[in-house]
Amino acid sequence: MIIEIDDVRKRYGERNAVDGVTLSIEAGEFFGVLGPNGAGKSTLVEIVEGLRPADSGTVTVLGRTPWPRDLDLLARMGIQTQSSAFFTRHTAIEHLRRVAALHRVPRERADEVLQLVGLQDVAETRVEKLSGGQRQRLAIASALTHDPELLFLDEPTAALDPLARKQFWGLLKTLSPAGRTIVYTTHHLDEAEALCDRVAIIQSGRIVAVDTPAGLRQRTGSANLEDAYLKLVAA
Amino acid sequence: MNASAGAYLLSMVRNKIALFFTFAFPLLFIVLFGLLFGGPGHMDQLAAGVLDWGVGNAAMFGVAYTIVQWRRDDLLRLVRTTPTPVTSLLSGWFAVVLGIAVAQAALFLGVSLLPVFGLTVPFPGVALLPVVLLFGCLAFFAMGVVVGRVASNPDAVGAIANCVMIPMAFLSGSFYPLELAPHWMTVVSRFLPLRYLNDATRTVLTGQYDLVAPLSALLGFAVLFGAIGLRTFKWADNG
Repeated sequence: MIIEIDDVRKRYGERNAVDGVTLSIEAGEFFGVLGPNGAGKSTLVEIVEGLRPADSGTVTVLGRTPWPRDLDLLARMGIQTQSSAFFTRHTAIEHLRRVAALHRVPRERADEVLQLVGLQDVAETRVEKLSGGQRQRLAIASALTHDPELLFLDEPTAALDPLARKQFWGLLKTLSPAGRTIVYTTHHLDEAEALCDRVAIIQSGRIVAVDTPAGLRQRTGSANLEDAYLKLVAA
Repeated sequence: MNASAGAYLLSMVRNKIALFFTFAFPLLFIVLFGLLFGGPGHMDQLAAGVLDWGVGNAAMFGVAYTIVQWRRDDLLRLVRTTPTPVTSLLSGWFAVVLGIAVAQAALFLGVSLLPVFGLTVPFPGVALLPVVLLFGCLAFFAMGVVVGRVASNPDAVGAIANCVMIPMAFLSGSFYPLELAPHWMTVVSRFLPLRYLNDATRTVLTGQYDLVAPLSALLGFAVLFGAIGLRTFKWADNG
């Protein structure tokens, strides 16, 4: 198991953002985390990434504990956060070179990942001038500079129009070659159905179901994942 | 180059307002005060005062502004996701801050050496100036890290940094000799890092060598604020 989550809880004031989640993710899985806004997806993923501590329960990632900040573990994970960050007044390639330096990998990696996400034509464009779709691609490239075994993508298509979103799927499908594990947060169900090996549906901080998209359809007698999701969340 | 140093330097040289306040604004003070009150025998006091104020301002404001801006833009969070330790992030910024201070010194003292202002620089004592700048930058950089922790947005950095630096400049005798000030100001100045930076720079510019007391004081401020800054360092606005 790449990720083991055992009875993790996190409270914000009166609200249980994460309310006793237990979950394992296997090596090489493209794993979707689904749920309505405010269901606790981001909090759960941030706890796994080590960006915040859990109140109780244990999390093991690649055999280590992500909190407090573990530099050796971070070297093996790629994290794209929802609020994508770019170095101000830098061009796309300059930004990626900085990220490569932060990860202590050769600067040539910046050119490689820029090509990988298809941004070579805007290499010399300042990050402030990139379009929404280009910024999302750059954010993913930033999480890939060090070729991580484990990749977290947090709603990378949230700000994209329907066409750009479909084009984006092509890129996402190339990211899981043999061995790389991807944890993918989204609330687009068509996306999860097209990309994910397994999905977890989270509501009010609890796991409602974990299964393959096909398994969830079968279990609920639905034609697609969206119907299955609506039945499970409404139940 | 260290990524945090490079990113800081690049966003600085591409930021005309920062360049103005770091180089042109103190230079204006040198020229203006130099023409009014300068001349041989006065210019060392004046040049040292303006240089220290410019260096302290740039060091404190620069790092505080960068911390707040990077935290707001989630750049600190990006750094947080990489195996770069906080100390390497801060030391990268510090290298740039020190480099800027040396450039400021070269510019401000270079202009002050013009005959119309009449600064004379004693050799070889002036070779100690980079050491003085190092200690000065350490103290003001450490204060800047604390200001960057306290300030919630870039405007607040300007407000806090000015509230700290402007009264401190007057109370530390940056723009006139403390000997001309009332006694209570001399007492207050003993609690201010800028006073010790002024003491050290003036010592060097007047060809003296006794730097132990002012440099120890600057180091003390650096350790105090550095410890607070490191202990309270925050990567993101929401946790």
